Order: sequence, then C-alpha cells, then structure tokens
Amino acid sequence: MATEVLWWIFAAAIALLSAGVVFSRSIIHSAIFLIGSLAGVGAMYIFLQMEFLALVQFLIYGGAVTVLILLALMLTRPDAPGHRQSLNGTQQPFALLVGAGLMVILFAVITGTTWPGSDIESLTEVPLTLVSQRLFEDFGAPFVIASALLLVALVGAIILARQEEGE
Amino acid sequence: MVPLENYLVLSAIIFSLGVYGVLARRNAVLVLMSIELMLNAVSLNFIAFAAYLDPGKITGAIFAVFVITVAAAEVGLALAIVIRLFRNRATSNVDEAAIMKW
Repeated sequence: MATEVLWWIFAAAIALLSAGVVFSRSIIHSAIFLIGSLAGVGAMYIFLQMEFLALVQFLIYGGAVTVLILLALMLTRPDAPGHRQSLNGTQQPFALLVGAGLMVILFAVITGTTWPGSDIESLTEVPLTLVSQRLFEDFGAPFVIASALLLVALVGAIILARQEEGE
Repeated sequence: MVPLENYLVLSAIIFSLGVYGVLARRNAVLVLMSIELMLNAVSLNFIAFAAYLDPGKITGAIFAVFVITVAAAEVGLALAIVIRLFRNRATSNVDEAAIMKW
C-alpha cells in the first residue's frame, strides 16, 4: 500500500517535471526540470524491480547527458542579451493541438485494451545474472555493434566540435 | 500493486509532452531535450512490459539498454552540431538554420 502511494507521488512528479521541460520560459530551468524527470523515470525502474537499469539511468541520463546539455547551453549562451527571443515558434498552438490529440488517442487505446498480466500479484525480482546473461550471451552481437556505434558517434562529435586551424 | 496500465498512461503523458516540445520549441537544445523525454517514455514502456509480461527473459529491458546507448550517441552528436552551428551562424534557433531547406 505504501508502495502505491509512493508510486503516485513519483508519477505526479515526473508528469509535472516533464511539463516543466516543455512549458518553462527559461531554457536553464528546462534543463533542471529534465534532470528531475529523468531521475524520476529511474525511480520507476526501481518500482519495476530493474535495479541495474535504474543505475544505468541515473548514471547516463542523470549524469552524462544532462551535463552535456548544460555544457552546450553554456557554450551557446541562449539567455545572453541580444539572443532574447521567444523559445516557442508561431506554430505553438498547432503543436499543442497535436500533443493533446496524441495524448487523447493514446489514453483511449490504453484504457480500451485489456492488457494481459493484470492478475499478477507482485513482480518477480530480476537477478543481475539474468540481465548479464541476456545482454552478453543472447544479444552479444548487437551489444558489440552498439558499442562501435557509440565510439564512432563520439569520435564524430569531437571532430565536429573541434576548433579548426585558422578559424 | 500498481497495474501495467498506470505505467502505460504515465509513459503516454511523457511522450505526448515530448512531441509537443519538439514541435513547439525553436531552440535546438530544447528540441533535443524533448527528444530525450520521448526516448525515456519509450524505455519506460519497454521495461514495464518486460517486468510484467516477460520476467523470465526481460527482452524489453535489454532493448531499453540499447535505446539508452543510442540516445547517448545521439545527444553527443547533436550537441556537437549545435555548438558548430552556433560558432558559424551565432544562433541556436532551428528556424534560422534553414540553409539546406529548398
């Protein structure tokens, strides 16, 4: 019972923080809200008995990605004088329409479907050995390809962002 | 015990907010943040399905690992492009970076 109350608190916090990311008037505030939202989703993984993925979420999203985003914000100075302009384009009402429409459709589909597994009493704990077994044995090749992708992407990012001679 | 539908509804809320953000925002970094929200909603869905319907194999959780990997690669590259754009054209507004638009 206590877990359910906690779940609802976290769900409400995630929804509010995510709304803060897209509705906030300050770009720095958006980035701070994003950290909270990503950490909240990590907490959801703990509710789902996936401790390892929660750890990955906190480390990569809460740590690396948000630091990258804040660094990019500092380097591009969007709040500096002379760069003050509306963060939203003229198409904002249509975007609101599309977002709200998508939400209504998704709600209708989710509530209109009978999902299997609604009779489960409690989630089984996922041992870390199962995660590693699946990741390194059954999905070994995709794992290696994903690591190569990450390496190539980050080398490419360095080359793109590098200060060139005579610039 | 929270039913599966709750996770799906929460994920739908985050995803819709992300779609709104991508369409409405004009700053490239804000668009990127909204994309991160959408990717997170997808991972949450994957992991919820894995925990409820597939606890013996957790294929969805493995998918989420790959989603996180690709998201990290994407964020690194996209921010490099944003910094490059800012250096060349002194803007991070996606509407002003229309040089490749016919």
